[in-house]
Amino acid sequence: MDKLLLNPIRLKVISTLANTEFCNFNFLLQLTESSKGNLSVQLKKLEENRYIKIHKSFKNNYPNTNCSITDLGRDQFNKFINSIISLKQ
Amino acid sequence: MTKEEQIKIINDSIIQTKTNLKPLGLNFVFWGILIISMSLFHYFFAELVQFSNYSVVIYWVLIPVIGMIFMTNYNIRKGVKKGYETQLDRVIKIIWAVFGLSWLVHVAISLIQGINAPTLDILFSLSIALVVTGIIIKFKNITIGGLLLLVFVVYNNVFPGLNFLLMNVFGIAFGMLIPGISLYKFKESK
Repeated sequence: MDKLLLNPIRLKVISTLANTEFCNFNFLLQLTESSKGNLSVQLKKLEENRYIKIHKSFKNNYPNTNCSITDLGRDQFNKFINSIISLKQ
Repeated sequence: MTKEEQIKIINDSIIQTKTNLKPLGLNFVFWGILIISMSLFHYFFAELVQFSNYSVVIYWVLIPVIGMIFMTNYNIRKGVKKGYETQLDRVIKIIWAVFGLSWLVHVAISLIQGINAPTLDILFSLSIALVVTGIIIKFKNITIGGLLLLVFVVYNNVFPGLNFLLMNVFGIAFGMLIPGISLYKFKESK
């Protein structure tokens, strides 16, 4: 089982991104109910492992961060789900 | 974390990123009201709208372009506020962007060739966009509205002679406005 996805915040992020084209940082913050710092650390870990892509830009002089899942991230998420299913059976 | 907890996290995350179709219904209602109002105004105040050759073009190009800018801005703001975009959101966005582009092409061709009104061509493109959208979002009223509009366009191609403005009013009302209201109300009640 993928150890990276055993963390609840990272699992929430990856399962949300697998169902969407992209999510912004504020939405993920609300979804994971974590602190900004903690979410940033978890996103960075996922990005370092090439599970997600982080796009940083500015909108009306405010920083805007969008995240999207990579093909590798989607594959790993699917494998993770399959491993849960096989363990349950 | 137990397996049940992991499954719950995955389920909850997926549930929270469902596509909200209410804004799409609002888009249909906005365009339905705008086009019907413009057609009726043109029909009853033809001298005012057609006081020169350019006035008609300006009337039928400028106002829809302003409408496009307004609605695009509204949709972007809604998207930013929502915080995510689903695959379905993206597909719907592409369908209507392509329709917007085809509208521009129809208008440009009619201006270049000197054809008075590309109404039937635009209504044809609109009917296809509505049918495809209805099928994708699995909402029968939009699909039926699009099909009605398609039948209406085909009928007018075979038996021409109807006033283009009245055609716009009836076609848009039954193809877009009424299905749009039902989509908006349906999603509101959900």
